[in-house]
Amino acid sequence: MASAYYEFYRGSSIGMALTDSLDELITSGAITPQLAMKVLQQFDKSLADTMVKQVKAKTTLKGHLKTYRLCDDVWTFIVKNASFKMEQNEMITTPRIKIIACKNGDAIEAGKK
Amino acid sequence: MSNKVVPPIYRAVIDDVIAAIRPSFEDLGVADDVLHELQQKWEEKVIASRVADFDPAQPAPPAHHPYPVALPQYAVGGITYIPPSAAQPRPGVKPEPVDPRYALAAPQYALPPLPGPSLGSLGGLAFPASMYRLPQTDGPAGSEDDDDEDDEDASPAPRMPRTAHPSLQPSASAKGAEPTDEEAINSDLDDSDTENEEDPEDAAPETDIVFCTYDKVARVKNKWKCVLKDGMIHTGGKDYLFQRCTGEFEW
Repeated sequence: MASAYYEFYRGSSIGMALTDSLDELITSGAITPQLAMKVLQQFDKSLADTMVKQVKAKTTLKGHLKTYRLCDDVWTFIVKNASFKMEQNEMITTPRIKIIACKNGDAIEAGKK
Repeated sequence: MSNKVVPPIYRAVIDDVIAAIRPSFEDLGVADDVLHELQQKWEEKVIASRVADFDPAQPAPPAHHPYPVALPQYAVGGITYIPPSAAQPRPGVKPEPVDPRYALAAPQYALPPLPGPSLGSLGGLAFPASMYRLPQTDGPAGSEDDDDEDDEDASPAPRMPRTAHPSLQPSASAKGAEPTDEEAINSDLDDSDTENEEDPEDAAPETDIVFCTYDKVARVKNKWKCVLKDGMIHTGGKDYLFQRCTGEFEW
């Protein structure tokens, strides 16, 4: 069940904060690596579910596609001069951004029940 | 502003994880304090990352670099807990004392041409020994004769040249020259290659990144359109979340 959720969100800010915290607890001997893995699997699930339930923001992204790659159903885009147009006309621009996109659908649908 | 959404969402994720994982801690007999400690550390790090304005006006002065810097490490594998912990207690000092030993041993043995220690030193140095023996074995009869003489007599003839001319001076100089050349060449090649290849794409891994899923990706000529879902944007040190993002790129 937990395997139905993507692990790659662990690379996000909140995911890195969690993995770093788990590292510290493992190093100090407070928890085992196995328990830490369970926590991370729970994080995969909690994050995906929370995002689906609570995040409603929509945005558009425009830019120059410098690199694209599809490998194992994972798209990787590197976009130059990217500009996100958030709601309420808020614009966020960046000279370069990397997008890692896993396939939406079956894997998550199966895990959602 | 999707950045304003971040704190409550992260709050919800943390609470959900902590609540859901509690039974696992209890099953393993891990004290509840540890779970609290985990939650506390996690929250502190999230706040310190300054990816959003979290309500409690905690200044969070500590350095917030580790997160972006750690991203590439994470990419190596989700299970890599060992590197950070292992890197701390073990500084690699071992190779250093070894080199000076050989460096000292070589000149010492080179001065007195003694058979026993010379063999030992040659064996230890490995490089000059093999280098020297190979040309000898090229002539089969000669090598056998040399071996026999060595075994039977303490004849100075075969050993004098062995220690004297093929000895450690040329080999040492060659040895000293070769590795530096090799290292220099290899490192230069490697560095230049990796830099040229990785710089455009993967270098500066702490740059902006988006984690999301995709519904569809379509291309017509050089026009790309994609529908991204459930995304976490990290740009300019801030996080943004989206349910749906329509991307239009020109390649």
